Amino acid sequence: MLSMQNISKIYRTDVVQTHALRDFSLEVKEGEFVAVMGPSGSGKTTFLNIAGLLESFDTGSYFLDGEDVSNLNDDGRSHIRNERIGFIFQSFNLIPDLNVFDNVDVPLRYRGMKSAERAKRIQAALETVGLASRMKHIPAQLSGGQQQRVAIARALAGEPRILFADEPTGNLDSLMARQVLDLLEGINSNGTTIVMVTHDPELARRAHRSVHVLDGQVMDLKAVPDAPKRETGAKA
Amino acid sequence: MFSYYLRLAWVSLRRNPVLTGLMALAIAVGIGASMTTLTVLYLLSGDPLPGKSAQLFYAQVDSSPYPNDHEPLDRMDDRSALDLWGAHKADRQALIVDSPVKLRAPDSPKPPRMAVLLSTTADFFPMFAVPFQYGAGWSADDDAKKARVAVISAELNDQLFGGADSVGKSVMLRGSEVRIIGVLKPWRPSPLYYAVAGGRFSGGDTADFYSKPEDVMAPYSASLEINDGNFQQFTCWHPPEHPGHLTDSPCVWVSLWVQLDGAAKVATYRQFLADYAAQQKSLGRFIHADNTRLRSLMQWLDFNGVVPGDVRLQNWLAFAFLVICLSNTVCLLLAKFLRRGSEIGLRRALGASRKAIFCQCLVESGLVGLMGGSGGWLLTLLGLWLIRQQQVAYADLAHLDLGMFTATLGLAIAASLVAGLLPALRASRIDPALQLKTL
Amino acid sequence: MTSILAALRHHRLSAGLIAVQIALVCAVLCNACSLIAGRLELMGLHSGVDESSLALVQLTGYDTAQADEVNAKALGALRAIPGVQAVSAINTLPFGPRVANAGINLDAGLSHFAGVIDFYVGGPGSAAALGLKPSSGRLPQEDEYGPIQNFVPADAPVLITRNLAEHLWPGSEPLGHEFWMDKFHFRVIGVLDHLAVPAPGGGEERDPDWSVFAPARPGPAFSGSYLLRADPDDLRTVYRDAQDAIAQALPDVVFDHDASGPVLELRHRYFAPQRAMAGMLAGVILALLLVTSLGIVGLASFWVSQRHRQIGIRRALGATRGDILHYFQMENFLIVSFGIVAGLALTIALNIVLIKYYGASPLPAIYLPLSAVVVWLLGQLAVLKPALQAAAVPPAVATRGL
Repeated sequence: MLSMQNISKIYRTDVVQTHALRDFSLEVKEGEFVAVMGPSGSGKTTFLNIAGLLESFDTGSYFLDGEDVSNLNDDGRSHIRNERIGFIFQSFNLIPDLNVFDNVDVPLRYRGMKSAERAKRIQAALETVGLASRMKHIPAQLSGGQQQRVAIARALAGEPRILFADEPTGNLDSLMARQVLDLLEGINSNGTTIVMVTHDPELARRAHRSVHVLDGQVMDLKAVPDAPKRETGAKA
Repeated sequence: MFSYYLRLAWVSLRRNPVLTGLMALAIAVGIGASMTTLTVLYLLSGDPLPGKSAQLFYAQVDSSPYPNDHEPLDRMDDRSALDLWGAHKADRQALIVDSPVKLRAPDSPKPPRMAVLLSTTADFFPMFAVPFQYGAGWSADDDAKKARVAVISAELNDQLFGGADSVGKSVMLRGSEVRIIGVLKPWRPSPLYYAVAGGRFSGGDTADFYSKPEDVMAPYSASLEINDGNFQQFTCWHPPEHPGHLTDSPCVWVSLWVQLDGAAKVATYRQFLADYAAQQKSLGRFIHADNTRLRSLMQWLDFNGVVPGDVRLQNWLAFAFLVICLSNTVCLLLAKFLRRGSEIGLRRALGASRKAIFCQCLVESGLVGLMGGSGGWLLTLLGLWLIRQQQVAYADLAHLDLGMFTATLGLAIAASLVAGLLPALRASRIDPALQLKTL
Repeated sequence: MTSILAALRHHRLSAGLIAVQIALVCAVLCNACSLIAGRLELMGLHSGVDESSLALVQLTGYDTAQADEVNAKALGALRAIPGVQAVSAINTLPFGPRVANAGINLDAGLSHFAGVIDFYVGGPGSAAALGLKPSSGRLPQEDEYGPIQNFVPADAPVLITRNLAEHLWPGSEPLGHEFWMDKFHFRVIGVLDHLAVPAPGGGEERDPDWSVFAPARPGPAFSGSYLLRADPDDLRTVYRDAQDAIAQALPDVVFDHDASGPVLELRHRYFAPQRAMAGMLAGVILALLLVTSLGIVGLASFWVSQRHRQIGIRRALGATRGDILHYFQMENFLIVSFGIVAGLALTIALNIVLIKYYGASPLPAIYLPLSAVVVWLLGQLAVLKPALQAAAVPPAVATRGL
């Protein structure tokens, strides 16, 4: 599903060069739930930006869902982000002016879907996260956990092949964090690959496996204990 | 997608009503100022006789006795004008002379008033497509017979006869009674093109070219008798012996307009003018044989610089003002879009292409433009109202027609789209990754 | 200072736009002010006559044959009005109709053309009634008011203005000099400081003072136009009575209301377009300053909100409110200064265009620094509120998460 080989990324400013990633390689199989761990400054976020096609890299190769995405132009990358990738952020990143329905609608809009189809998907996604009754609320009227569930619904509505989560529970209390994690596990069990960046070992333990990143490199590539054998392409 | 962008734009504009108001106001003020002056310019500089003006020409010969090689004078002496007119070498030809005349209705207790008398010839009415309400113009025969007939303006007909059909009634011009044979429809050429002359000596102060048409029109031949002693020269090289009596005087005071249908006829007429001048030189009446002109109506207006200097200056000023208002809008839009950098980054992360962001921002700019344009339209109406309060000859012309109304809205939206281009482009370059942490 | 410049480089697009806007504002401001000053100067013109005491009465609609009768009846009727101090025939007055302008020559052979001037022709008593006071030479004497066949007398002593004399005979005493218009001959007997042409600022006269005064007796070629002199307080009443008096004495002539009136009123009417233009220019200047300051306010507030956290950190690290305030003020000063530098070039370019196409006068150098000061003040005023907002950011922002 995700295959990175010898990726490196250097940030240049007038004064210094920072090697954010060097010789970074990672394989994630379809249906996996992988936690990427590491201290702050280790390159986790850069990895996520590159993996999520938010940022380009300098050298190396990257295959996502069987497609070489190393040399895609901006439009091509936007297209893949929109159709195959879902994002969940630590700070939820809902658009404050739009209500729940419209927030979930955002990625679907860029896909050029018919209005009826969009409404159906939004309804389904919000039911999955248990917020179908809050469609007309704006984010400020929701709790942190609810906001993150809306964000998950937004990621799900596009029926992505892979979900990237960046500290998805970082801004939540433990009860809400557990609900969110349960949700993610459920999504994963329906066949969606999940890559989660976190520095919380508790969280990482819920994943199938953990990858440790330090100084822009993967430290240990443990063998996958028991690769999940589930049907692929299941609906969320 | 457009309706989605429109909804997003509305949401975004409502979030910050003060900033939105400022932008719309800046556009409105800029549009209001430039459209006011542009409307005036458009009204004053347009073709006064569309479809026909290309066939109308202003003939000039140089009868000056001074040996300087200047442009020929703006009008002709009456002898040259009559010679050229009488030759009937053009499809139509009309002499034009304006003079002040004392006018009253016979048997009316009202005191006499001064009116402007247009002395012209029969072709004037068909040539300039003059619209009639009642009756018609006179015939070539009336010109020859020095018939005491007149055509009056709708305004004079309203004043003297309450707007009724006055054909067959008469008016007193000075001491003479003339019979009304035609009443014009309300008619307001802009400028009063057939009377334009001397623009180059006016120093840009040409507002009077936009005066209303004359009150009374009478055959040239008859009015020379009726209003003798009250004619005014354009200029003289010696003072006339009897001021106001200009027949055979050393003065220029008569204009000649000709209608020529087709380029071949124009060339022939040009030759005719040259031949006439050469002939007059051989007779010793002219000293300049090769100084004739045949300008088309629009060329003649252009040569006279009919649009007042103040109007052109105001126009430039208003456009400089519009540019400043727009650069202001560019700043504010830029601030507005970049303030939403994190939202745009998020949309990019969720799969919006650069083009999608660009379009979204442009739609928002266009919406601001629409609001500014509506405000600008109101300000244009206000501006034109202010112009109508001024004491200038063209004040009554300053109205917004449908074309200029559409142009106002169009200009506003186009202007705001142009103003939105740079900010939208900048917004569409926002990196999806960098902004995500701080929505 | 360097840190401000570094920060500005980050915002170079918006800062640049503000600077461009300032440059445009400078250019329009300077030139519009100069145009207004030009119009005001014209409107403040010295006509050289006692405007507040004088009125012009113009009659038309009679034949030359009736001219003597009209003169006699009109002069008689006007003199009989209570409160009138003087009545005289005069061909026109400053701000009245242009009736007698012609090109003159400095020699009888008409080979030395000297320009187009306006002739005032006045009947007996008119020079005194106008309030003409020669600075050298004398007024015409009673016997110098001669007959007149055409629009000017054939051979007359004239009063000339200082400006016109200087143009005709540079550096020489004008008294006794002569000039010709066609066969007409004129000799200077007095010099006036000012006598404005009827239509100053337009036409072929290149100076508002290019006029002369010639004495003549009313007659068939000189009729129908009269000056009234009265105490300024009575003038309106006298002028109103004059209309009635003429209507009674000469029921069949036409009183030309457009061309007649107290001179102050004629002046007011004459300058109406100038006033309108000056008003419009002033309006544009005001709107311009307003729009620009709104733009500065908008952008500065955006910068302040964008740097909210940065400001908090600076405050936490010991910057005083004053430091933050001055930072934003200094930033604005720099941007505006860039705009002014670019604006100077633009101002001069625009001025050259205006001189070429609209007969504007060259911009006095003082306008440039003055407009720079105005724009600096405008910028500081506009940035004050956003800068105060910035200064009010509490240091605690630094420790708060976002």
